[in-house]
Amino acid sequence: MTGAGDVERLLRRALAPVEPPEDLVGRLRNGLQSISDAAAEELEGWERAAIRDPRRWVRPGIAVIAGGAAGVGLFVLGAMRRRSRD
Amino acid sequence: MAVGGTRSKAELDAQFAELYRTHLRDVYSYAYYRVGNHHDAEDLTEQTFLQAYRHFERALRESEGRPLRPWLIRIAHNLAANLYRDRSRRPQAPLDERTDVAAPHSTEELVSGRDELVRVLEGVMQLPDDRREALIMRFALEMDNREIARALGRSDGATKVLIHRAIRQLEGIVTRAEGVSA
Repeated sequence: MTGAGDVERLLRRALAPVEPPEDLVGRLRNGLQSISDAAAEELEGWERAAIRDPRRWVRPGIAVIAGGAAGVGLFVLGAMRRRSRD
Repeated sequence: MAVGGTRSKAELDAQFAELYRTHLRDVYSYAYYRVGNHHDAEDLTEQTFLQAYRHFERALRESEGRPLRPWLIRIAHNLAANLYRDRSRRPQAPLDERTDVAAPHSTEELVSGRDELVRVLEGVMQLPDDRREALIMRFALEMDNREIARALGRSDGATKVLIHRAIRQLEGIVTRAEGVSA
């Protein structure tokens, strides 16, 4: 018969941590790229009108920030990916 | 460099990279045991970090220095719940038909007591969602009660009771399974 102590011991073995696959970093990089691309598209649609109308400067500004942040994030994850390959 | 309580993009990205490096295995392990296969676990892990990236600055601000692992796991928890709501099901594939379940374990472990491990894993899958998740967080991620409480949005006391009841229920399931197979 299995007691609580035994169950906990077995749980530690049964639920061993799982290493993620190597290509997951690449998939994450692509996901961040899509955030960056979406921000760029947002800019294209708004930039002409926004430049003429200061009341509409906020949204493109957010797109610039999102795209820039994602861009740096891509660089960081890319560097991590290269390091993991070395 | 933080200026006037705000963080630069470079600083934020460096912190996010550190969060990612430190907790990728935790999020992936949680996802794997939560959804039961590598394919969905990869999707869930990817979506968790993308969502975390979008809200990272706010999370840092509101965490007031507390660890962000419970926040990450809570994102994964919510995304997994949405996944099953969309598919109107929970993982039900018998563990002995899922050959990839054996992947995290060493050859030695598989040889000695594989039946026991399979019975425990099958038992975990039979638990109610909240009990199953609490056990995954405790035993796969080695989170303490406080972290689990934050991830599940419960009090420390309620979490302690939840884990205790989960282990008791699992004990009953495994004992019954042993009786059937004897």
